Amino acid sequence: MQAGRLLLRKAWSALLTIGFVLVLNFFLFRVLPGDPARAGIKDPRMTRAAQAAIHARFGLDKPVLNCLASLNPLRRGPCLVSPLQTQFFIYINNLLHGELGISFHTKIPVGELLRARLWNTAVLLSAGQTLAIVLGVAGGVLAAWQAHTRIDYAALLTSLVAWSMPTFWLGLILLFWGSRYAGLPIGGQLTPGLAGASTGAQLRDAARHLVLPTLAQTIIYLAEYLLIMRSTMLDVLAEDYILTAKAKGLSTFQVLKDHALRNAALPIITIVALNLGFTVAGAIQIEAVFSWPGLGQAIFESVARRDYPVLQGAFLLLAVSVIAANLLADLLYTWLDPRVHAAP
Amino acid sequence: MSAGSNAAAATFWRQLPRNRLALAGAGMLLFALGLAVFAPLLAPEDPRRALLATTYSIYAAPNAQHWLGTDDAGRDVLSNLIFGARVSLTVGFFASFISIAIGGSIGMAAGFAGGATDRALMRFTDVVLVIPDLPLAIVLVALTKPSLFNIILVIGLVGWTGTARLVRAQTLAVKERKFVHRARAVGASDLRLITRHIFPLVLPLLVVNTVLVISLAILEESALSFLGLSDPTTVSWGQMLNYAFSRGATSSGAWWALLAPGAGIVWVVLGCTLLGYGLEQALNPRVKSHHLMRPAAPQTSAMQSASPAPADALLEVRGLSVDFVAQQQPAVHAVQDVSFSLRPGEIMGLVGESGCGKTTLSLSLLRLLPAAGRITGGQVLYHGRNLLALPEAQLAAVRWKEIAIVFQGAMNALNPLLPVGRQIAEAVERHEPAATAAAVAQRVGALLEQVGIPAARGRQFAHQYSGGMRQRAMIAMALACNPKVIICDEPTTALDVIIQAQILELLNALRRQLGLAVIFVTHDLGVVAEICDTVLVMYGGVVAEYASVDTVFNQPQHPYTRALLAAFPDFSRRHNALVSIPGQPPRLHALPPGCRFAPRCSSAQALCHTQQPQLLRVGAEHYASCHLLQPMLPAGSPLPQPA
Repeated sequence: MQAGRLLLRKAWSALLTIGFVLVLNFFLFRVLPGDPARAGIKDPRMTRAAQAAIHARFGLDKPVLNCLASLNPLRRGPCLVSPLQTQFFIYINNLLHGELGISFHTKIPVGELLRARLWNTAVLLSAGQTLAIVLGVAGGVLAAWQAHTRIDYAALLTSLVAWSMPTFWLGLILLFWGSRYAGLPIGGQLTPGLAGASTGAQLRDAARHLVLPTLAQTIIYLAEYLLIMRSTMLDVLAEDYILTAKAKGLSTFQVLKDHALRNAALPIITIVALNLGFTVAGAIQIEAVFSWPGLGQAIFESVARRDYPVLQGAFLLLAVSVIAANLLADLLYTWLDPRVHAAP
Repeated sequence: MSAGSNAAAATFWRQLPRNRLALAGAGMLLFALGLAVFAPLLAPEDPRRALLATTYSIYAAPNAQHWLGTDDAGRDVLSNLIFGARVSLTVGFFASFISIAIGGSIGMAAGFAGGATDRALMRFTDVVLVIPDLPLAIVLVALTKPSLFNIILVIGLVGWTGTARLVRAQTLAVKERKFVHRARAVGASDLRLITRHIFPLVLPLLVVNTVLVISLAILEESALSFLGLSDPTTVSWGQMLNYAFSRGATSSGAWWALLAPGAGIVWVVLGCTLLGYGLEQALNPRVKSHHLMRPAAPQTSAMQSASPAPADALLEVRGLSVDFVAQQQPAVHAVQDVSFSLRPGEIMGLVGESGCGKTTLSLSLLRLLPAAGRITGGQVLYHGRNLLALPEAQLAAVRWKEIAIVFQGAMNALNPLLPVGRQIAEAVERHEPAATAAAVAQRVGALLEQVGIPAARGRQFAHQYSGGMRQRAMIAMALACNPKVIICDEPTTALDVIIQAQILELLNALRRQLGLAVIFVTHDLGVVAEICDTVLVMYGGVVAEYASVDTVFNQPQHPYTRALLAAFPDFSRRHNALVSIPGQPPRLHALPPGCRFAPRCSSAQALCHTQQPQLLRVGAEHYASCHLLQPMLPAGSPLPQPA
């Protein structure tokens, strides 16, 4: 009961945050220089009618808000417009119908474009994050268990150094090494011209393209997870119930598995879940180095092209993934901690 | 202002210079700062000088003229590297200043004001937080103009959310401290409260956080520059990498052009990381040890006991000594030369004030001391087997099966995430692997019923139990494997009188039926009188007196025992007023040179202050360590004691 109400409150809070993000997002791209109502749409290849249709669909011919043609307060627009006739409302309305707008540059619907890009980013992230979590947690447990020994100090120092490396630079170094000495591809998802090859060959090629970006990600996040796990584990291992478990005659392995790991898992799962939301945005550096057509690249390209609808959609997606990860962390915590779900 | 709260902050500032990691980090940063400040003097070339690049001068490998080679335009990489420190440090310093100012103000305002202000500010923080920093910075920098000023401003404006949350939490915590309430009560203004009372306690945390924010700002600047968003009029490490990457350093094999700028970034960020890590350690000194650290092998020695054990002794402890060792500090003698023996069915009371070594003694019997604790001598003989000499695996089989412990403080001794019944079952499964699941479950139920807990509540967690139930659950757990000896470390302190009586009755019954022997650690002399057969009085880590319960209560010999008894209400006699013992028990790291009780002893003499008394046999099965006592036997008889 109590847990249910707690989750409802968290979900409501998440919705509220999304609402505020929407507002912030909408106005951010209208405060910035370059009027989206005029930029991009002026493509000479489009007929006037087509342009007008897009204008109408996204309300680009309407004032941003009542009385304001744009966010420039000196350019007053028509005032007695119904609020439903403003760009903001049309934007929200379109969004509720799943429409994120059309890319100024590629003329592809933003939703479609971002879906493909998000999928690519997810592929890039999944292997690296899984490896980083598994190895980071294992390394953290080992370092904490062997606290203040050489193993611990080595793990600690290596992690601190890895944590201090810029992601893109580690990518560059791996790219340099991998392409020159390990025969790995320098970037992209597939070698061009493989379309006719067998599925097996294509998969192998795709896997080879994933090796370096995955490695870069694993190292960076491994360090972070190891440091978190180590300190969490050190706290847990100093708890009295660990001494009880040891006094019961349980082996070190049993104590680690049944008592320490279980209890340290709670904070670590929460932190990892929270972190996952931010990794989507973090992928931008790796995508830049390895020319990986993911969400980060989409943002980067769109900045150069002033492609506001794509940016607006991408930012919404990034924010939503952070919020969703937040909610997931809360959900996991509630589910895993009996102190929350079992009534006192 | 309260002394206690400021002491924490004071410790932080004092410990700071002693932390090696922090010093190393600070040194690295100072070195980078030196490069940045004296760049024009140090760099062999001016990086902005116009060059006529030729195919021979671009991407030249490191050589005598260019120690780190040249870049895509034929410029000296080393010079660029030195000048690059300027941008990194400038951005790191100013951007973090902006972030800390914004985040600190918002966090402090939200935490201090509370209520609607807090909710509004934190909602705003959450919204900014969920939009990831780097993409936002990219958009803002790209759509304005990538000047150094804009880059600093954007990074500063984007990176304050973490600080806000941290400062808010700390402000909330500090606000509720007593001294703040007191200051408010005597009419301190809000501004004064914040500047004089709250801010000093938030500051150490803010300092640690600032170092982190600086390193994140530097990383962010390098990522922006790498993505092409750098001020073209300056040289930065990210920019060098951008040029190298986009202008063929990889295909030319110019590793120096890739390695050097990155090393610069890593140097500065690692400096921040080490400094921050060291600061964090100084701020929250962690417990240095945990329960699974490999303890030092116990030193065990064949010892002749001052109190020879009866032939039927179940557990015999001979001359046991335990030291606590800490780095750069003299060893603390927590337990020295303690001997006693326990027959089957015997209950021994272990009494003494807090900090006199009772718990240390209990833990050392099963070698469960924290890593800093070292057994430095003596023997623990169980059925004649020396537990101090057993390999860890064999000792694990003795733990709980033969000797179990009821720990002090049952709330923390139970695992909060496992049902209580599961934790009991675990012990049974460990020592009786042949038992079926049903048999184990039945046994767990019976054990809980035995201590007055309904079997069904075994599925519940520790937080759902009352304090007394947790204590009883611990006792049930200790009984799980039918041990021969139970060490009870103040097991009844949290219990009400009726439950306490039930527990004592249970222990008494078990001792009669099964011959269970008990070491009962307690402050409560009433309980000792009620159930114990023998009493071991400890003082300052040594045995003060050891005898049967009747002897101790009726003919106490050691002044400390007498003082203890005088301080305890005895309703059977119409006694004078209670007499408390003046002073405090000795701190174990500053033991008096002579008798440990001498400073508080009303009958102490000159000898007592200079020489440590030996444990003397003062009666049949009666031992005491006091210079004022005469050994029962003629001279020469007190059994030899090592100094």
